[in-house]
Order: sequence, then structure tokens, then C-alpha cells
Amino acid sequence: METNSGDVNQTTFDPTFQHPYSPARLPETVRPSKSQDLKSRFKNLRKTRGDGNCFYRAFGFAYLETLLTNGKEYKRFFETAQKSKDDLIGLGFPQFTLEDFHDTFMDVVKMVEKPGTTAALVEAFNDGGLSDYFVVYLRLLVSGHLQQNADSYIYFIDGERTIKEFCSQEVEPMGKESDHIHIVSLTKALQVPICVEYMDREGDKCNSFTFNPFEGTADSADATPVFTLLYRPGHYDILYPL
Amino acid sequence: MAATRRLQKELGDLLSEGSPLKKSFRDIVVDESNILLWHGLIVPDNPPYNKGAFKIEISFPAEYPFKPPKVLFKTKIYHPNIDEKGQVCLPIINAENWKPATKTDQVVASLLSLINDPEPEHPLRGDLAEEFTKEKKKFLKNAEEFTRKYSEKRPAD
Repeated sequence: METNSGDVNQTTFDPTFQHPYSPARLPETVRPSKSQDLKSRFKNLRKTRGDGNCFYRAFGFAYLETLLTNGKEYKRFFETAQKSKDDLIGLGFPQFTLEDFHDTFMDVVKMVEKPGTTAALVEAFNDGGLSDYFVVYLRLLVSGHLQQNADSYIYFIDGERTIKEFCSQEVEPMGKESDHIHIVSLTKALQVPICVEYMDREGDKCNSFTFNPFEGTADSADATPVFTLLYRPGHYDILYPL
Repeated sequence: MAATRRLQKELGDLLSEGSPLKKSFRDIVVDESNILLWHGLIVPDNPPYNKGAFKIEISFPAEYPFKPPKVLFKTKIYHPNIDEKGQVCLPIINAENWKPATKTDQVVASLLSLINDPEPEHPLRGDLAEEFTKEKKKFLKNAEEFTRKYSEKRPAD
């Protein structure tokens, strides 16, 4: 797994999109054409720390950054986030610790309206106290969503375990990596459509996948992805379109 | 430090009159200069451990609550899940499974339940686990004697 010094790197823009792995580890099927493909569509990459929390950190940062210039969506998100605390307490999470995480989470969210800047968000996401608290709360949101919709997800988890067991083993502990099911849950819990570019084995180009939280619901909200993440096996970073 | 703020709140809860653990986890002492190190007295309800009480130490890492606390017995105890050095294997604080939302009172409650009802399926002391499973009477007698000899005095109330 790739490791950087900071949680969200301020200056490591990497417009070359070279694969970060040493040649020995580079799967031969990850072709240079995939880098070319990305270069034709994106201008920059922001790296996140490879500590197993990268999906949550990349999601949190990229999303808050888009809210800097979208007051209406910020208002919607703020209310959703505010309300989520009671839902989670209702599911039986210990109130005291949950409030502790929620308070800090909201402190970070509120940085958007100060008015916020990308630089201030970078600073917040590189502050372990704030950044890790933020990640924990996103993990709790995923856990809450999975538990509330256990019937829909029970067939998508590995091994013979309940959704609650899955959450306590694969979602809530820090550093547990995210899979498709985690992404689906977080986008649905927060009603945020996102796109992930998969730089993996198949094909000559990156495989792009849109997570549409409104799919299969009566909600006809705009499902245009609000940001894009890059997935290279084991790791998520943030992509900035041209 | 994030740990300090949270631990002060947690400690306040445990020391409050309303704490459900008031009788079974007591004499909590925390040095003012180091909130990361707690001492307390475990007072079990079930035989053979209800003949005494046991001092424990809970130490929190600076990264708390992102890393779990450690629990150490400072009083000798005859128990399949606690080794001679006082180390205890408690799944709730296993580094692999630790959840930052877990509260210290849940950790203590889980410890109490392990003391009261040993789990010989995953022992730290194989000899005691075997005795517990195969010769329960002998185990209870030995554990009670050991408790009387080495444990702390139980609080009067």
C-alpha cells in the first residue's frame, strides 16, 4: 500500500498519473494506455494517505471541497449530517462517544461556510485529531446505513455473518479498507453521487463507475457525480477533471 | 490532544453516582499529571472470585480513541483468561477489532463478564482452562483458595 506523510497531500499533484508501484509490483496488465486515458480527461490528482482509511478521507475532502462553491448543496448536506446523529443513536451506538465524533465532524463540515478555502480544508484533513474523527464518523454512517437496510445488503457480504458483525469487523474499526459495498452505503447514506475511475487489470482504458444513490428509488434527483476518485488496487485518490 | 478531552468525559461518567458499574469497578484513581493511566478495583459477583477484589491498570495510548486501551491485572488471579503477568485477552480491545466509538465502561463491563464467567475456549493459561473444563470442582476450590490468599479486600458495602 502506498504511504504518504500527510493525510491529504497539499502539493502532490501528479499530472503524469504514473502508477506509484515499483515495476516489480506493477501488474503487467495495467498498461500505459490507462495513464494516457486519464491524462486526456483529468488535470490533477490529489493523493491521500494509504492507511486503510483512504476512501473515507478522499470522499470527505473531495466532497467538502465541492461544497465550497455550492451553497445549496451545503445546506442540504448540513441538515442531513445534523440529523444523522439521532438516527445512529437510535441504532444503539453509545450516545456519548457518538456525540463526541459528531461534534468534531460538524466542526469540520462548518469550515466550509466560514467562508472556507481549500487550504483550510487541507490543513484540517492533515490534523490527525480532526481528520481521524471525521473518518470515524463516516464509518459510523456507513455502518448505520448498512444496519438500517440489512435486508438489501445481507447477500453482498462475505462469509456467514450478520450485517452487524460485518459492520463491527469491516466498517467501524479504523484502517479497514473499503470495498464496493462501503462506497454504495456512504453515497446512499449522504445522497451524494460519485464516480470512481478504476485503474485495474481489465481493458485499455480506466473503467469508470458511477455510484448513483438514487438508483432504484423514486427520487429523481440529479445523479451527476459531484467528484471523481481514482482507484488503483488497494488505494483511492482524488481526481480533478480538465 | 483529542484523547484528553474524551478521557476526562469518560472518567466523569464512570465516577458519577449514576454509573451502572459503581459497585463492581471502584476506587478509580487517575494521576492528575497523566490522564492516560487509570487504576481501579474490580469487584466480581460470581464465585470463586466473589471472595475478593482485584486491582487493575488501564493504560490508554496517546492515539486514543483511534487505538485501544490496554488492561493489566495488578493483583494475582487464578483465571483461565489471565496470565501470570496479569495480561488479559479481551476481544473488545483487540487492536484488530477496536472501534473508536467503544467506551471505557463497555471495556470494563466486558472485563467483568469475562472474570465472572471464564471462557476456557480461548485461554491464556491452558492448564487452568483444562482444569476448569475437566475438573470444575477442583478448579473452584483452587481458585477460591488462591483468591483468599492473594486478592485485595472487598469494600465493606
